[in-house]
Amino acid sequence: MSSSNPSDSSAHSGAAVLATGPALRLDGVRKVYGTGENAIVAVDHASLTVDGGEIVALLGPSGSGKTTLLSIAGGLLAATEGTVVVGGEDISGHSPRELTEFRRSKVGFVFQSVNLVPFLTAEENLLVVSELAGARGTVRKQARARAKELLAELGLSHRAGNLPAQLSGGERQRVAIGRALFNSPALVLFDEPTSALDTKIGEQVMELIQSEMRSRGTAAVIVTHDTRMTHYADRTVRIVDGVLGLGDAAGDDH
Amino acid sequence: MFLALSEMRRAKVRFGLLAGAVGLLVFLILFQQALLTGLVNQFIGALKNQSADVLVYNAQARKNLEGSIVLPDQATAIAAVEGVAVAAPLGEGTFTVLAGDEEQDAVIFGYELGGPGAPTTLIEGRLPEADGEAVASSRNAADGFDIGDTVTVVPNPGGTATTFTVVGLAEEINYSVAPTLFTDFAGYETARRAVNPDATQVLPSVIAVRVVDGADPTVVADAITAAVDGTEGLTRQQAVDESPGVASVRQSFSVILLLFYLVVPLVTGLFFLIVTFQKAGALTLLRAIGSPAGPLVRSLLIQVVAVVLSGAVLATGLFWLASLGGGGGLGITVEPMPVLATTLVVLVLALLTSLAAVRRVLRIDPIAATTGAGVQV
Repeated sequence: MSSSNPSDSSAHSGAAVLATGPALRLDGVRKVYGTGENAIVAVDHASLTVDGGEIVALLGPSGSGKTTLLSIAGGLLAATEGTVVVGGEDISGHSPRELTEFRRSKVGFVFQSVNLVPFLTAEENLLVVSELAGARGTVRKQARARAKELLAELGLSHRAGNLPAQLSGGERQRVAIGRALFNSPALVLFDEPTSALDTKIGEQVMELIQSEMRSRGTAAVIVTHDTRMTHYADRTVRIVDGVLGLGDAAGDDH
Repeated sequence: MFLALSEMRRAKVRFGLLAGAVGLLVFLILFQQALLTGLVNQFIGALKNQSADVLVYNAQARKNLEGSIVLPDQATAIAAVEGVAVAAPLGEGTFTVLAGDEEQDAVIFGYELGGPGAPTTLIEGRLPEADGEAVASSRNAADGFDIGDTVTVVPNPGGTATTFTVVGLAEEINYSVAPTLFTDFAGYETARRAVNPDATQVLPSVIAVRVVDGADPTVVADAITAAVDGTEGLTRQQAVDESPGVASVRQSFSVILLLFYLVVPLVTGLFFLIVTFQKAGALTLLRAIGSPAGPLVRSLLIQVVAVVLSGAVLATGLFWLASLGGGGGLGITVEPMPVLATTLVVLVLALLTSLAAVRRVLRIDPIAATTGAGVQV
């Protein structure tokens, strides 16, 4: 692993690392809003490596820059400086169009709020991006099969035809996880995935995230300010005022 | 298509109501247009559906048939203008007649049999061939103007009643929204004398001109105006369009239609702008997880097209139902071209007004997904 103090992540990881090479590498990433005296440094020379299959909790108080860092890693936001490599693809110089393609194919997102398209069923929420990307014929058939398979794995087969409003909070979050995994990404980014859930459901969701990521060898970065959830990660990285702190092995916070 | 249809399927009431509103408004447009056509035909169908290429008015009449008389010298001069093949008198007057056992106002046109000015839309019977015969407006057949009916001009004191037998029916030949008869000019003269027994001479209202083969009626009309003092030559279409009553009716309807043509797309555009604001969260989410803006814009435009076309289908159905009732006797009929043209214009305008919603979609910043502001279910 590496954070501001680079070190070998595998030394701390108890997870089964199925993929080869880092899923995410941030090198000297800086994000500055505004210019001159009004400049605000949201992320300050952050370096972080997340190996394939590794689950990293990014812990920090509100306004510490954790969501900004997550957004940069996911291609939602361009860094002012530094290098961002996801699944072997350097996205530092990508155009907006290339970033859109990157987000569709290489990375999965689960956002803080419940995040499904309200007028699409659970199954359609998984299929939507491939449909909007123009899936036809065999690709479409494969996508439908994949959606059914994912929903089955997530225990949601019986909910495939339900709209988000007909699902419980936990079920919605499971569908969101399914959608994030749909494109078999190298990296899934979770932004406060349990903030809208009670503790019990939150833990169930974290267990699901953990098991799904490990079974697929997919890396994950989970942004949270809830220290009760960090033990589901292989290690915890702290961020304060845009500066990444020392990494902790899983369970260090507990 | 996937996103557009999925959303519409799950929000049938919302989109159905909009399609219904668009349908009612398009129906009003179609109905108003048909009403205008019907009214115009009732006002000047007789001018529109007669055989003269050019009508020559007295210049002082200001294109008003009722106020026009052409003097014999002028008639002779008109016949001599280059491009004129035949110039014949055409008289017009409103008379009180006895038809269907009741007195009513009717318009009588008198033309030279075989010459220009004859009705061109005969649908039953034949044209007059002798004195005392007439073709009547088919719309008034049931009012005592059917084939075989007799129509008697009620004379003034000292005058002699004159009677016409209806031998044919022609459609859309009404004038001034009254039952209308076309008879020979001699019959018209007799009718005139019945109500004005002291008249020394019955002059034609206008001169009906047939131009020589290949001549441009507009050129001939202008040549007559230039060559014959105190006259104004108008092509048949000019006589229709510039008829004083018609112009003001068209102007009034144009204002109403313009308002409708503005309201329909504005309602549609506003609806889609509101819907776009309402689903900003879903759109932001889709952009964040890798949907290009193009498919989202296409989805919006597909919905606009679907709503307008659904509305147009509904409007056509309503219009058809209204036409079954005859539109209050104005002869409203469903014709494909006006329906298609109206639908096309409304569709284009609706797409244009939906550009505000398109702009909103294009301005979505996927980063908003991380703030939670745009990602609510």
